[in-house]
Amino acid sequence: MSGNSELAVETLELGRRYGRVTALEGVNLRVTKGSYFVLLGPSGGGKTTLLRLIGGLVRPSAGRVRLHGRDVTDLPANERPTTMVFQSYALFPHMSVARNVGFGLALRRVAKREVRERVDRMLDLVGLTGYQERMPHELSGGQQQRVQLARSLVLDRDVLLLDEPLAALDEKLRKEMCFELKRIQEQVGITFIHVTHNQEEAMTVADRIAIIASGRLIEEGSSREIYEHPARRFTAEFIGETKIFEGTVEAADGARARVDIGIGVIEVGNRDANVRVRDAVSISIRSELLELLAPDETASAAMQSVPATYEKTIYLGLTSSHRVRLPDGAEVGVRRFSGARGTARIEPGAQVRLAWHMEDARLHTS
Amino acid sequence: MLQDYRNPWLYRGMWVYLLLLVGALLLPVFYTIYISFNEHGFGAQIYDFTWDWYRVMLGNTQIIDSLRWTLGLGAATVAIAVPMGLIAAKHYKRTRHKLVLVTLMLAPLFVPADILGSALLVYFKNLNRACNWLADTLGLEWIRTWFELGFGTALVGQVLWTVPYAFIVILITMSRYHAQQTEAARSCGATGWQAFWRVEFPQIRVGVASASAFVFILSFNEYTRTNLLKGGFDTFTTVLISHMFNTGMSEDSYAMAGTVSVISMLVVGGVLVWSLARVERLEREARAAATPLGSA
Ligand SMILES: Nc1ncnc2c1ncn2[C@@H]1O[C@H](COP(=O)(O)OP(=O)(O)OP(=O)(O)O)[C@@H](O)[C@H]1O
Ligand SMILES: [Mg+2]
Repeated sequence: MSGNSELAVETLELGRRYGRVTALEGVNLRVTKGSYFVLLGPSGGGKTTLLRLIGGLVRPSAGRVRLHGRDVTDLPANERPTTMVFQSYALFPHMSVARNVGFGLALRRVAKREVRERVDRMLDLVGLTGYQERMPHELSGGQQQRVQLARSLVLDRDVLLLDEPLAALDEKLRKEMCFELKRIQEQVGITFIHVTHNQEEAMTVADRIAIIASGRLIEEGSSREIYEHPARRFTAEFIGETKIFEGTVEAADGARARVDIGIGVIEVGNRDANVRVRDAVSISIRSELLELLAPDETASAAMQSVPATYEKTIYLGLTSSHRVRLPDGAEVGVRRFSGARGTARIEPGAQVRLAWHMEDARLHTS
Repeated sequence: MLQDYRNPWLYRGMWVYLLLLVGALLLPVFYTIYISFNEHGFGAQIYDFTWDWYRVMLGNTQIIDSLRWTLGLGAATVAIAVPMGLIAAKHYKRTRHKLVLVTLMLAPLFVPADILGSALLVYFKNLNRACNWLADTLGLEWIRTWFELGFGTALVGQVLWTVPYAFIVILITMSRYHAQQTEAARSCGATGWQAFWRVEFPQIRVGVASASAFVFILSFNEYTRTNLLKGGFDTFTTVLISHMFNTGMSEDSYAMAGTVSVISMLVVGGVLVWSLARVERLEREARAAATPLGSA
């Protein structure tokens, strides 16, 4: 049985249970050849499990794995066209950098000279020329991750799996390494599958992102799609800072829906979700798309709004979060650039309106 | 921990106490060695240094024979008990039923030596009878001697008793090892065996070496079980003790005791120094890793 060979990785109803715990269930993932694919999701969601199933480090309890159209479900890690980079502690501490990187080649009995040349070339690629004779404990965290990367890349495998490769690094170094990873992926052109729970990291490197949570593949798309047009409520809540309203549909046609959210009735676009009257729905709006209208301002016709009480502003550096409280007690943050002009001063306790453009709100049924 | 002994005299006092304690415990051993070099033996007024008793000992074919058996038994015990301990330790890391495994593995330690020895003796006698019966009635001559007391049965007794020690010692070293490295090796193309041999084993080598030394010494010094299960041959300790029972301590017995103690202390001391040096190196490396050189 052979599948689509344009796909580097394809999983079919893949699942894994640990005793009574279901770590992963019914995952159908499709990763295009040569893409930088990110698995993003909350802790314990099943990302590592999925990655290890693809890499052959654990056996699935259900489903199949195909790599480049070939079913590899029953092959162990060393017989798959994959290789893996781990979060930490994965370098062999008793071997020098050169021997670490050359490990896989030495196993294949490649001639010593060729091993040396290829190791040198890889260290060059990851920016560690001249580190051949260092021992792992003589390297910083970032350097260790580069060595791991070189050790995997030197094998010329089709798919590189990375499990939180940057999680042990500090913020600044992580950002640097993100760009580095992206550059290297573009240079070598193989498929990268990168697990992280850091959104910014995901957005920086990804061609496509899959959201994994509660053992399921929630949604998959490009960074922009996932951020701007999340189909699922979970995605909207997980990505960025988002206000979610819950409500019931009062009236709906193909273009719009009127939804009763308890503290008012609002209108929202209904093209993608296609809801019907009396459906229970949620509406998500990202905090940077919300606006605060001072007591004397009125909303324009294109805008939706609900009443709110202004509480305080929290300064966050680049942005500030203006906190307001809704009549139902919920607290909402409105994000603005801290230095932005035209933010009128509002007294705490003032009655304001929380407003947004209708097309910025997303309607979700699940 | 040093700052706990803020009073330096208290700290030094602890050391003096420790040395005195160890000294007092080892005094009889050193005294034995001391006597073994006296030409006039135990209780004599004068002390004249001599190697003679060792020469006598080495001239005694029974003793040399027993030394050969002892070394052979020790080597065989190491060759079986250490790999068994290693396999058990590896299994321990993987299994979910850790408590059951540990209880089973350590059980032989809680059975007194003479009870374990005589239980095995009865067991082997019965097996031997069964084999003899099978040989007689079915004509399976080749199984007649399987469970006759001898090297094999003594070996079983020693292995049974030393495996727990090997298991524990190796397990302790293994706890430093990160299983992720095995996965990394596998995803670099290594088979299970290659990953073990090239990546894990070099890192637990100290544990395996210590376990081997430990098991060897245990076997070397063992008396009760060996004596019950040995059948026809003699080991160093069984010769020594039967000497003592039959003729009392003679001068060459002191030489034998001296030899046993010196070999034991050399092996244990050697392994101790080697593994401590290694642990210290690992700790130095860990400290170095905690404060990386240069940035990425
Ligand atoms: N070996 C195991 N035995 C039992 N349960 C496990 C095992 N490995 C994972 N699980 C469970 O499976 C679920 C998914 O775990 P997984 O490690 O895949 O999550 P993750 O998304 O990688 O989380 P994180 O971001 O924290 O690394 C968790 O509930 C976890 O407890
Ligand atoms: Mg994980």
